[in-house]
Amino acid sequence: MRPSHRLALAALALVVVGSAAIADVSGPQAVKARQAHMKALGASAKAVGEQIRAPAADLGVVRAEAAKIDAAAKALPTWFPAGSGPSSGAKTEALPLIWTDTVGFAAKQRALAAAAAKFDQIAQAGDAAAINPAFREVAAACKSCHQTYKEKDKD
Amino acid sequence: MAVPERRDRRATVWDAPTRLVHWLIALLIPFSWWSAHNDHLPWHRLSGYCILGLLVFRLIWGFIGASTSRFGEFVSGPARVRAYLAGRLSAGVGHNPLGGWSVVAMLTALAAQVGLGLFSIDEDSLEPGPLAALVSFDTARAIAHIHHLMFWVVIALVVLHLGAIAFYAARGRHLTRAMIVGRAALPPGAQAPRLVPVWRAVLAAAAAAALVWFVAHGLRL
Repeated sequence: MRPSHRLALAALALVVVGSAAIADVSGPQAVKARQAHMKALGASAKAVGEQIRAPAADLGVVRAEAAKIDAAAKALPTWFPAGSGPSSGAKTEALPLIWTDTVGFAAKQRALAAAAAKFDQIAQAGDAAAINPAFREVAAACKSCHQTYKEKDKD
Repeated sequence: MAVPERRDRRATVWDAPTRLVHWLIALLIPFSWWSAHNDHLPWHRLSGYCILGLLVFRLIWGFIGASTSRFGEFVSGPARVRAYLAGRLSAGVGHNPLGGWSVVAMLTALAAQVGLGLFSIDEDSLEPGPLAALVSFDTARAIAHIHHLMFWVVIALVVLHLGAIAFYAARGRHLTRAMIVGRAALPPGAQAPRLVPVWRAVLAAAAAAALVWFVAHGLRL
C-alpha cells in the first residue's frame, strides 16, 4: 500500500469512527433541541395569550408571535428524528408511541400546522375578533397531541 | 331550681367565621386537587381564588377575631410548647401550644401553594395563573412543577392534622364537634373566649375579596 493510500484509509477510518461518535450523541442532542423549540413555542403562546387577555391587545406582538408559531408548527415534524425518544438515554417526556404510531402522530402534526397557519393568517390580517378563537384552536392542537404522545407529570 | 355547681359550663370556643373558613378550606383542598387532576383548570383557578380569599380573611381575623382565633393567643414560644408536651399545662380553651403551630404551618403551606399557583402555567399556555404574565414561560413552568410538589406538603399537614384529631379522640377528647357547632364544655377554671361583633367579619371579608379581585386581575385595577 502506498503511503498516500494509507493516509486516505486512515482519514476514512477517522471519519467513520467520528461519525459513529456523532451518531451516539445525536439522540440526546435532538432531545435538547426539541425541548428548546417547545419552550420557545410555549413562550410564544404565553405572549399571545397575555395580549388577548390584556385590556388593549398589542397586535404587533400577536403578529410577530403568530408568525413564529406558524413557522414552528411547519418545522415541528423535523423535531422528532428516529432515536430521539426515551431510548436515547436522555431525559425526555416524548413517548415511544410517537415512533410506533407514526400515522396518528402525523395527523396531530397536520392539525397543528393547519391551526397555526389559519391563526397566523388572521393575526397578520389584524382580525381582532377572530384572533382569540383561532389562537385557542392552536393551543388545543398542542394539548391534544400532548395528551396522547407526551408523558404526564408524575407528581 | 339552682343549677348544680359541678355541671359543665359551655361556651362558644370557635367563632362562626373561623369555623366557616376551616370547613370551606377543608372542602376546597380536595376540590382543587380534583379539578387540577381532571383538567378543569378554570375551576381550579376559581378554587384557588376562594382559598386565597379565605387565607387573607383568616390572617386579618387572626388579629381582630374572637380570642381563640387570634395568633397572639395561640402562637406560643418553645418553652410553652415544651411545658405542654410535658403535661405541665392545665387544659385551656382554643388551640394548645402545639396545635397553634400546626395552624401556622397549615396556613403558611396553603399560602405558599396558592402563591405558587398564581404564577403557574400549563404546558400549552392555555390556563395561566393571574400573575404568570410577570414571569417567563420557563419560570412559570418551573413554578407549576413546584406547585405540584408542594401539594404533598399540604397533604402531609392534612394527614398530621387528622392524626392529631384521632390521637386526642383515642384519649377521650373529641374535637370535631366543637369545630362544627362552635360550642364546647369549658375546662374547670378556664375563661370563656371573648367574641367580637359580626361587622368586623364583614369588613375583613370585604378587604379579602378586594385583594383577591386585584390579584385575579393580574395586579391591575
